[in-house]
Amino acid sequence: MFFFVIRRTAFAVVLLLIISAFTFWIFSALPADPAALTCGKNCRPEVIEANRIRLGYDKPLVDQYLGYMKGIFVGRDYGEDASSIHCPAPSLGYSYDRHECVTKLIASTLPVTASIAFGAFVLWMLIGVGLGTLAALKRGKWQDRVATAFSVIGVSFPTFFLGLLSILVFIIWTGILPFPRYEGITESPGNWFMALLLPWFVLAIVSAATYVRMTRNGMLEVMNEEFVRLGIAKGLTRRRLVVKYVMRAALVPIVTIAGLDFAFLLGGALVTESIFNLPGIGKLTLAAVVNSDLPILVATTLVSAVFIVVANAVVDILYGYLDPRVRVK
Amino acid sequence: MRKLKRLSVVALSSALLLAACGGGDGGATSGEESGGKSASSDGIKDGGTLYVLTNAEGVSTLDPQRVYTGAELGAWGSTFTRTLTTYKPVAGKDGTSLVADMATDTGTASDDLKTWSFTLRDGIKWEDGSDVTCADIAYGVSRTFAAEVTAGEGPMYAVSYLDIPDDEEAAFGSAYPGPWLADADQQALFDQAVSCDGKTITFKLKNPVADFNYTVGLLAFAPVPKAQDTADQYGLKPFSNGPFKVESYEEGKELVLVRNENWSKDSDEVREPHVDKIVWQFGLDEAVIDERMLADSGDDKNAIVYGGILPENLQTVFGDDTLKDRRTDGFDGFVSYTMFNVESVSCIEVRQAIWLALDREALRTAAGGPFTGEFASSFVAPLLAADYEPANLVEGLNVDGTPNTEAAIAKMTEAAEKCPEVHAKATEGLRFDHPDSETWKKNIAIWIDSLGAAGIKIIDNPIEPSKYYATINGDRGDLMRAGWAADWANASTVIPELFGDGGGFNYHNNENDPAFAAFQEKVDQAKAETDRNKQSDLWKELNQYVIDQVWSIPGSATKSQNLVGSNIRLGYQWLPFGWYNLGGIGLAG
Repeated sequence: MFFFVIRRTAFAVVLLLIISAFTFWIFSALPADPAALTCGKNCRPEVIEANRIRLGYDKPLVDQYLGYMKGIFVGRDYGEDASSIHCPAPSLGYSYDRHECVTKLIASTLPVTASIAFGAFVLWMLIGVGLGTLAALKRGKWQDRVATAFSVIGVSFPTFFLGLLSILVFIIWTGILPFPRYEGITESPGNWFMALLLPWFVLAIVSAATYVRMTRNGMLEVMNEEFVRLGIAKGLTRRRLVVKYVMRAALVPIVTIAGLDFAFLLGGALVTESIFNLPGIGKLTLAAVVNSDLPILVATTLVSAVFIVVANAVVDILYGYLDPRVRVK
Repeated sequence: MRKLKRLSVVALSSALLLAACGGGDGGATSGEESGGKSASSDGIKDGGTLYVLTNAEGVSTLDPQRVYTGAELGAWGSTFTRTLTTYKPVAGKDGTSLVADMATDTGTASDDLKTWSFTLRDGIKWEDGSDVTCADIAYGVSRTFAAEVTAGEGPMYAVSYLDIPDDEEAAFGSAYPGPWLADADQQALFDQAVSCDGKTITFKLKNPVADFNYTVGLLAFAPVPKAQDTADQYGLKPFSNGPFKVESYEEGKELVLVRNENWSKDSDEVREPHVDKIVWQFGLDEAVIDERMLADSGDDKNAIVYGGILPENLQTVFGDDTLKDRRTDGFDGFVSYTMFNVESVSCIEVRQAIWLALDREALRTAAGGPFTGEFASSFVAPLLAADYEPANLVEGLNVDGTPNTEAAIAKMTEAAEKCPEVHAKATEGLRFDHPDSETWKKNIAIWIDSLGAAGIKIIDNPIEPSKYYATINGDRGDLMRAGWAADWANASTVIPELFGDGGGFNYHNNENDPAFAAFQEKVDQAKAETDRNKQSDLWKELNQYVIDQVWSIPGSATKSQNLVGSNIRLGYQWLPFGWYNLGGIGLAG
């Protein structure tokens, strides 16, 4: 098991290095000129060229990449004269559009996205696995039909539709909820909760739909296995059988997918954040796309990649723990 | 030139309006509306929080030397950035009159108008309680020269006016590279042009400028305390010397302005703050903003909007008379126009033919109809009351904006004889430069079609928007698109800038036109004219002259519409900035 963990971690690190180099390269290949973006309307071509040299965009791509990677570990100064700006390690670049070190921007938006992701994750696991189990146990009965109908509706409605609809119904038409204004959980737990309530439900409903189906099918499949019949024959109680044997076996694949979905959400819930105006990584990314703000785009892409790769490694290791057959030599 | 926010969004959504109401049969129409009760002080009470709702992810900047958006110049000037002079904060034409702000009066000029001095009032403090000094102003002005920091985002009058030697090699063409890069000698060049003697600051200029006291009203001439300057990051937390200060600013979330305890009414004869706090909420969906403003409930009663009304909601807002006390409709100070490269299209008959053949009505309809603006008959916007006078346009031009193809063809026939080379060029193809956008994909089709009917061919040349002006600075087509608003209430920031020798926004290549010398002579005369009435007459004459020469085709004098919450008071449109006097807004109830 120890070597399995080591091997898996080493693989993740190599993967991240490859992704970072690739991300860096692909964004440099875009037609947007990062040096031109540092300059206003009265800008003369000479100013753009001077800025290009000052910011290091004139150097070969490999040097730029190495400088970037070095910045992550030791910090970096942007500009060379008295007006230069220092971004401490881990520096993910400087956004001339927002006038901020990118790391600081990520640090201020990540808690928002994490709040969304965590709440939504808990909700959708509860709804998804709960309804899925119910549907499997009451197969063919009305509970099953309701759960199946829910999953069809949930899957069919895109986030932006459910999001806008919920704003209209709960905020504008009925006025049950105030218009959400996000504040950190430490600043105002009440406002934090109120601002996230609708986004959590919207994301949970959309994602839970898939989990209802997966749980239901998984459970039904396991319930047909021979060991379940053996359990019944041996006289295990239904509750013990379902919880201890059927669910454990049926949920293993769901854990894998849930881990990845959660990591994906951490990279920014673009649509949900935009609709509910939550200042998270998704909105940061979206604004950066609109403004061709390359340093932010590179950083958010990298951060999302880190989440996915780490989640992948964790899931793999967890899976190895849950199912010893995976730990191949 | 001030920048116009959101133009593309407005134009983009206008298509929806057209689809939705299929041409205006009855319903609301555009006209001057000043806001009724919301613009008055009826029942105003001090205190409370004013909200500003906006779709924008943030403001363009809070840095005084970088700001150049009309609304923001007014908003920051009325709240946390005081300048030597400013405009009278009142509704109507009076709002364009200049008053002393940090200075004791509106400035003293030498006889040759090349030296201007201002004396600071007593008791002006920064938000930490320290005195605002003459040196702070000089330092603030010097920041405009720093290409690597303020990046030419703000107005460049400090560079073009101040008596500092030129250096063609340098970023802004000035021998002074700004406070960060300057060595002692270079700093001395600046210090002799902007000097302090106790509380008196003196500006030495290269050429006579009769209205330099308006120039110093721009935030680019606002003070910055050197010790607080964080260079590129100063705009995240600028230091206040006004009635409000920046408490926090986070793009994508909010900007919070609170009262500045160290500001005192005794040192400020201009500002009258009423609210305790101003909160800008960013990133709201435009449709949601309109819904909230129409619903007018809770805190939204204390809200104004930065960004206007969606075109598809204009009919609702202006068709409902119960909203009369909450809405405004008026000019925003901008004039759009199409420039000729006078060197390559050197034949006036061809230029006239193009103007006559153009379907201006179709262009306005594509943009969203009459609410977007009126056909311009001057390069000076109607808001510049003193200098504005509709000019006589080219003979045969249809008043309703539809093309007069016949007259255009007649002009082309004339041109074929008089200037066959340019005529041939016009029939083979004239290159039209414009920023690439969804709106312009539609617009250029209208240009091509309507001019094609008169036998004139247009070659489309879309340019990446962020590089548009930098591109045409070097490589100019035959026609080029632009828009302009005056920097202060004097056409001296319009006519010379757009058409004159060394004008900061003159892309016309008109210096070798036979009509240019007479024009420039009169411009110089107008610039140095100290009698404001005489100067106005000269600007009107010059505007007519430019229209007669057809160096440019005026497009439209653009308009904007706004809706405020029912508790808003003194929410009038402040003419010099085309938006509210933010710091002076109060709440009722």
